[in-house]
This record gives sequence, structure tokens and C-alpha cells, in this order.
Amino acid sequence: MSDFLLELAKNPQARRFIESLGLPIALPEQLKRARGAWVDRPLEGAKVVVYSGGRGELLPLIARTVIPAGAEVLVADGESAVASFRAPAEAFARKAQAVSASEPPEGTRVRAAIVDASGFDSPDALRGLYELLHPWAKSLEKSGRVVVLGRADGEKDAAKVATRAALEGFVRAVAKEFGRRGVTANLISVERGAEERAAGVLRFVLAPESAYVTGQPLRVTSLTRPNKQPGFTQSLRGKVAVVTGAARGIGEATARRLAAEGAHVICADHPSQDGPLSLVARSLGGSVLLIDVAAPNALDATAAAAKEHSGIDIIVHNAGVTRDKTLAKMSTEFWELAIGVNLAAPVRITRGLLERGLLKDEGRVVCLSSVSGIAGNAGQTNYSASKAGLVGFVRALAPEVAARGITVNAIAPGFIETQMTAAMPAAIREVARRLSALGQGGLPIDVAEAITFLSMPWADGLSGITLRVCGGAFIGA
Amino acid sequence: MNFGKSRKAVVVDGTRTPFVKAFSDFVEMDTIALGKAAVKALLVRNPIPLKEIEGIVWGGVILPATFPNVAREIALDLKLPPTVEGMTCTRACASGLQAVTLAAAAIERGDADVMIAGGSDSTSNAQVALPAKLVQKFGPLALGKGGSPMDYLGVLAQLNPITDILPRMPKIAERTTGEVMGESAERMAQRNGITREAQDEFAERSHHRAARAIASGRFAKEVVPVQNPAGATIHNDGIVRGDTNREKLGKLRPVFAKDGTVTAGNASPLTDGAAAVLLMSEEKARSLGLQPLAAFRSFSYVGVDPADQLLIGPAIAMPKALDRARMTLKDIELVDMHEAFAAQVLSVLKALGSKAFAEERLGKRDAVGEIDPDELNIHGGSLAIGHPFGATGARMVTTVANELARTGKATALLGICAAGGLGAGAVLERI
Repeated sequence: MSDFLLELAKNPQARRFIESLGLPIALPEQLKRARGAWVDRPLEGAKVVVYSGGRGELLPLIARTVIPAGAEVLVADGESAVASFRAPAEAFARKAQAVSASEPPEGTRVRAAIVDASGFDSPDALRGLYELLHPWAKSLEKSGRVVVLGRADGEKDAAKVATRAALEGFVRAVAKEFGRRGVTANLISVERGAEERAAGVLRFVLAPESAYVTGQPLRVTSLTRPNKQPGFTQSLRGKVAVVTGAARGIGEATARRLAAEGAHVICADHPSQDGPLSLVARSLGGSVLLIDVAAPNALDATAAAAKEHSGIDIIVHNAGVTRDKTLAKMSTEFWELAIGVNLAAPVRITRGLLERGLLKDEGRVVCLSSVSGIAGNAGQTNYSASKAGLVGFVRALAPEVAARGITVNAIAPGFIETQMTAAMPAAIREVARRLSALGQGGLPIDVAEAITFLSMPWADGLSGITLRVCGGAFIGA
Repeated sequence: MNFGKSRKAVVVDGTRTPFVKAFSDFVEMDTIALGKAAVKALLVRNPIPLKEIEGIVWGGVILPATFPNVAREIALDLKLPPTVEGMTCTRACASGLQAVTLAAAAIERGDADVMIAGGSDSTSNAQVALPAKLVQKFGPLALGKGGSPMDYLGVLAQLNPITDILPRMPKIAERTTGEVMGESAERMAQRNGITREAQDEFAERSHHRAARAIASGRFAKEVVPVQNPAGATIHNDGIVRGDTNREKLGKLRPVFAKDGTVTAGNASPLTDGAAAVLLMSEEKARSLGLQPLAAFRSFSYVGVDPADQLLIGPAIAMPKALDRARMTLKDIELVDMHEAFAAQVLSVLKALGSKAFAEERLGKRDAVGEIDPDELNIHGGSLAIGHPFGATGARMVTTVANELARTGKATALLGICAAGGLGAGAVLERI
């Protein structure tokens, strides 16, 4: 079922009419999404304002990310900070100029406001956040971006720890405040030495690909052995991916996105999904793997398919089921099915592939967790347990395989417009949509984009994390 | 590219028609007729045995749809021996250079000893395209069994009278981005900070230098008079304005953006013309008693994203050609760049002079270098002389080869930008 408010909000007259009535209806903003595969310059022609309060260590990282991505840079730190931007600006013929932090130039609209908070080492320094975003809040484009960059070092000084923790709260609040205009806000904490890897993460949060990712802290580390970097476009060429649950919804969108980046996709789903699965596989030039992931032969079947390609590079554990009942009324089958499909299968198949040497170096494991699962839902004890289990699984497995350049991450979708959520009672669905910073449900493509990003060689700074694709959902741990 | 190789392709001579504004003196001459004029003059001046000529390689951009192999048509129209084969190539504004380097490569591979290469274009004879829908609907009727007038009317009734039926004027726009080339140049001027004044000053210099070359007789060796079907003989290039200056140029209105900087005065005009080059293996030239002028030491063709800086290609192709010639800019005594727009040349020069550009885009530690204005386009360029798309590369090769032979300079670097985000570079050396 379509989102009535979102459809209504697209019509400028209706929007003006509703706003003039002063009704307590917050009209969501139609999010600007990416079309197709990653492009070289996702920020072509956009303006980006950057501020570090005069103490930024990460300005060179920002310069090397946003300028090749096509942006013009307004540096709100004064002339001396412009120096960090000069060389890339010259090489790519983009402007980098000093502007006043307190007074945005008349009529200027920026795609993104980036605060380099790496030099904020005491609560007083947090003022830098206010100094940029207070005056520039109204200069952000619709579907714009707020990004705060900070440091993620192990720190003993309590004042510094407090300052860094404050950044997270700030970003979450900004996400909720700016969300009605489609603006997202995210925090990237960069471990010392991981600056190069942060470039890919920064590119993602600035690009339209991250339209439904907001209010998230992302920690960039050097945990994983650095991957070979073939560039930002078509970077999955020559790679082989397995996507379970690929017949429809998020799985199908993911299979299509990975294929669009050049990967060969083995589309896996339950034998009952033979028809739709074959259509998906054929349309993207992939192959078909009919398995019940919870069945005893699932590992062998997956391994056999992987062997045909001399091993695989990416596995996306997307197949999942809900079997909702209150605990007192829940049958053993319901319990075992949810745990078996959602948690036991990903664990067993991943382990098995690793043991048999069928997951290649610099590989990727992506597990589909769930915001509502993590938060815990009445009637979903089985589901919540399974989805929370995956968070622990990726956290523990990541360091184990890091030396081989493999990353292991989870994605936690919030309310996504799928067949599963379309079956919810209308009132609950409506509440679920609105209880998020962006005031709307996400689309399967939003989750697919995040999975695709984590599958990229240039996401090698993220491992062991659970990335929420939830539009800033108000619930969840 | 030919070092160590036994065979060397040499430029023996080159000629061209005068270059004139489209829809003027050559309006009744199509690209084949123009090409014929240039090749004929080349053969009159070099009375080599015709059967020695292996073939003609010709470059063109606006190719006649029904007879696209212009090279073969030229050979047949000139009544050259039927053994003189012909092929036509297209690489946008680098087509002329492409034809010449194809011929040189064929000679160095041992496929041929004597080749004619060049290019031509007649914007005046650009074919006005009918909308695809109209062609698709009427084609089966017209080319098939034929239909009654009622059939034609029936088809007509299905089409939108404005968008589906009216012919479209050809436009120099990028197929992928839809951007007209002048708009791309305008964006490059903006992004590289190229001022209107700098562009007009560059255009002024181009005109003054070309005018001086004509007045001094320097072009007499290259430009041959051509008689048009109306009976008039055209002796000189028609676009060069020796009396223009930056004040006059400064009065022209920007064409592609309201507050823009690109004008008709600092952009190359639509031009009709042709240029031809005679290439041989060095041995063959000497055995025929001909004095070679120059040889290609290297060449390079590159592509950049047309949606980024459409015409920046030469800033990558020229250094690449230098690398292949195992040279640096310091080894070069003469530089000739195609002037599509003053803004484009100045943007390329800026990139070549930038250390940051060299590091990021070329993977080099140092800037390619600054090009001395005294060594750049010393006899003017496409802004003043004009730019028949397919002919420009062959014009540049001819002028530069003559300049090397005449002055005793040893090396020259060529650079050409082209639609589709293409760039070309070449290093020529004196023989």
C-alpha cells in the first residue's frame, strides 16, 4: 500500500494547503535517491560547507573525498583551512573558498554541512557544532546531509570521552530535527591510522545512496587488512555474491544492486520460490540456487554452488521469517523455525564456507538483522532473539577473519515498505512509518544500497558493526 | 613509437583548401568535393607515380549518410587507379589526426609505402535528419512495396506534427549529456577561473598570428586556391581578422550563458574545408627523391568523462604522448593545440602547469610544465583559421611539419580536444 501522506506531500499545492491549515500533520519529504550503480561523482555540482573550529585533523580526508566526488567546497574556517583543499581543487577544477561560518552567503544552498570535530577535546569545544549548524541549518538543501567527523581512539581522559560521546547525542538529535526535510545526520568516528578508509564511508553518507540512513554513529577502524581498491565504480566486477531470499523484496533489490556493480549473483531462495527466483536471476544474468537455508543440506548445496565459481566473495544472509506468537502460546515449531532460519543458518553457512576455504580473501559477510528485532517486540520473542543474535555474531566473527581482509557486518532495517509490512494492520503501519526522523518508511532499495556499500572494497574500514537503515526510527536499542 | 624499428613513416608534404565560414564560398561543395580539391593539389605538387599510392585514409565528422566512405569517393572522383583503396574514420574533432596516424601506423607496420591521409568537413552540407519515428513509419512504405497516397496519409495521421515530423537541425551537442559544446566550454571557463579578458586576448593573438602568416606568405606552401562551382577562385582563409582586437572582441555578447564568457569571437566557427597529407616510408621517400619533413615519434588518444570537463582531454593525452616519446615538455620546441574555444585551450594549459593535476590525474610528481606563449600556435589556430572538424588534425600536422623543416627546430607537440570527452596528443620530430 502506498504512503498516502508522502504522495500528498509531492503535490506542492496540497502541501501548501495542509501547512496553511496548521494541522498537526508533518508532511514527509520525498527522499532523493540514487538511480542505478555508483557513479564517479555523486556530488556533481553540489556545494558543501566544511567547518573544524580551526582544529581539524581530518580536513585533508574531507578534501580528498568531496572534491573528486564533484563538490564545490565552502570552508567556514577561514583562509588557512582552505590550504587543505587547494591541491585537489586545482586538480579537479573545483572551487574551494573561504566563507563566514556565522553568516552564510545570501541565497547559498548546500548539499552537506560537514563538521570536522576531530580537534574537539573538551566540552567547551562542542560549541563548534553550534557555530556551524546554527547559522547554516536553513541553508541545507532538501535531502541534504549533516556529517560530523570525530576521533575514535581509546581515550583515558574523561573530558575527551565525554566530548566524543556528546557528538553522538548531537547527531541523533539533528537527525530528528532536520529529518522532516529529508536531511540525514550521521557521525563518523575515525580511528587513528584509518583515515584513508574513512573516505569510502564519508562518500556513502554524503551520497544519495544513504537516503534512509540517519542518526547513525559509524566507527572506522584499521581492524581489517586493507583491501585492493579498484575505484568507486563497477568495483564488484569479477566478484561472486550469494544473496539468500533473493526472489523478492530486499533480497531481490540487493541482488540487482550487486549485479549492477558488476558482481555475478547467485540468487538463492526456498524451492517454493522457483518461479520468481528464476525471473530475477535471469534478468540480472545471475544463477539460481534453490535451498531451504534451515535444511541440513543447505551448507553443502551452498558450498557446491560456491565451488563452481572457485569460491565466493560476498554472502548476504537475507532470508528470514517471522513466526509471531506470545511466548505462552508459541509452538516449538515456530520457535525453531525463526531461530533456525534467521540465526542458526547464517552462522552455520558462514562458518562452513570459511572452514572449507570457499569465502575468498577480502570477502564480505552481511547479515540482515532488524531494528524491531533488536528492540524486542511483544509476540516476537523468537524473532527478536534471532535478530539480536546476529549483532553478536558479526561483532565476534569480524576480528577472526580481519587478517584475510574479510569484513563481517549486519544491517538492521527499520520500517521498510515490503510485502511483509504491507500485511500489517493499517493503523500500526501508519504509526511505524511516522515514528522515524524521516517520517516515512524506507524502500527495499534503501536497504539494498547499504548492503551494496558494505560489500564494496572501499568499505574496508567497517567491520563487526550493525548499520541501521531505519530513517532514524524512534525505537530500537 | 618507431625507435628501434626499421621502418619509419615520414610526412612528405601537406596541402589544404582555404578554410571558409560555413554557408559561404564553399556552400555548394560537399565534403567529398572539398577533399578532392585538397588531394588533387597534393598530387599536382608531388608528381609521384599514382600506382605507388596504396590508399587514402580520411577523417570526417559530418559524413554523408549515403556515401560515408569519403576516402574512396575522393579516389574515384579523382580517377586515381582503382587500386588506390580508401577508408574513412571518425573520432570527432581528432578525426584528421586519427587518419594521419592510422596511415603512419600502416606504413610502419609494413602494410604500405605510400599513403594519403587527411580529412574534410562541410557543415554547409550537413544532412538535416528526419525524426526517427517518421523514418520508421514511412521507411517500410517507401523502401518496400510502395504505398498508395492514402497509406502515406494514414501513417502521417499517427504522428505528432511538431516533434515527430519536422526535421531537426543538426546540433553540436553531446549525445550522452545533451550539453552543447559551448556550454561545456563555458563551464570549463568557470571551473578553471578563465576570464573573458584572457579568452579575448588569446583569440586576438590567434587572429593576429594567422593574419601575419597569410601576409608573409607562410601559408602559401600549404593553402591552395580552390575554384568553387560558381566559378569564383578562393585564395585565402576567410575567417582570419587581422584587424580585430580585444576591444572589438570584448563587445561581443556571450552566447551560451547569460553572464557567460564564451562568445562567437573566442570560439571556433563552423567551417568548410579540407586538408591532406602525403606520408611514405622514409626509404620510399628517398628513393623517389623527396625530402621528408617530419615523422611521428609518438601519439596518444584518451577519453575523459564528458559530463565532467568535456574538453580537458589534451591535458592527459599530451603528457601521455610525451611519455611514449620518452620526452618531457622541456624537450619540445614547438606546441600546436587545436583551439576549439579559447577557454578550453587556457583550461588545458592551466592543468598542464599544475602540480596538483599532475599528481592526481597523471600520477606524476611534477607538473607537466608551463607552455611558453611564444612557442604555442605560432601561426594562429582554429579560432582564427577555422575548424572544419575532420580537417583540423591534418592542417596542424602540415603546418607543424613545415615549421620543423623550415626552422630547424627538432620537436613539436600537438594537442586536440574532441567531442565525447576525447583527447589526442602527438609528438613530431624533424627528419
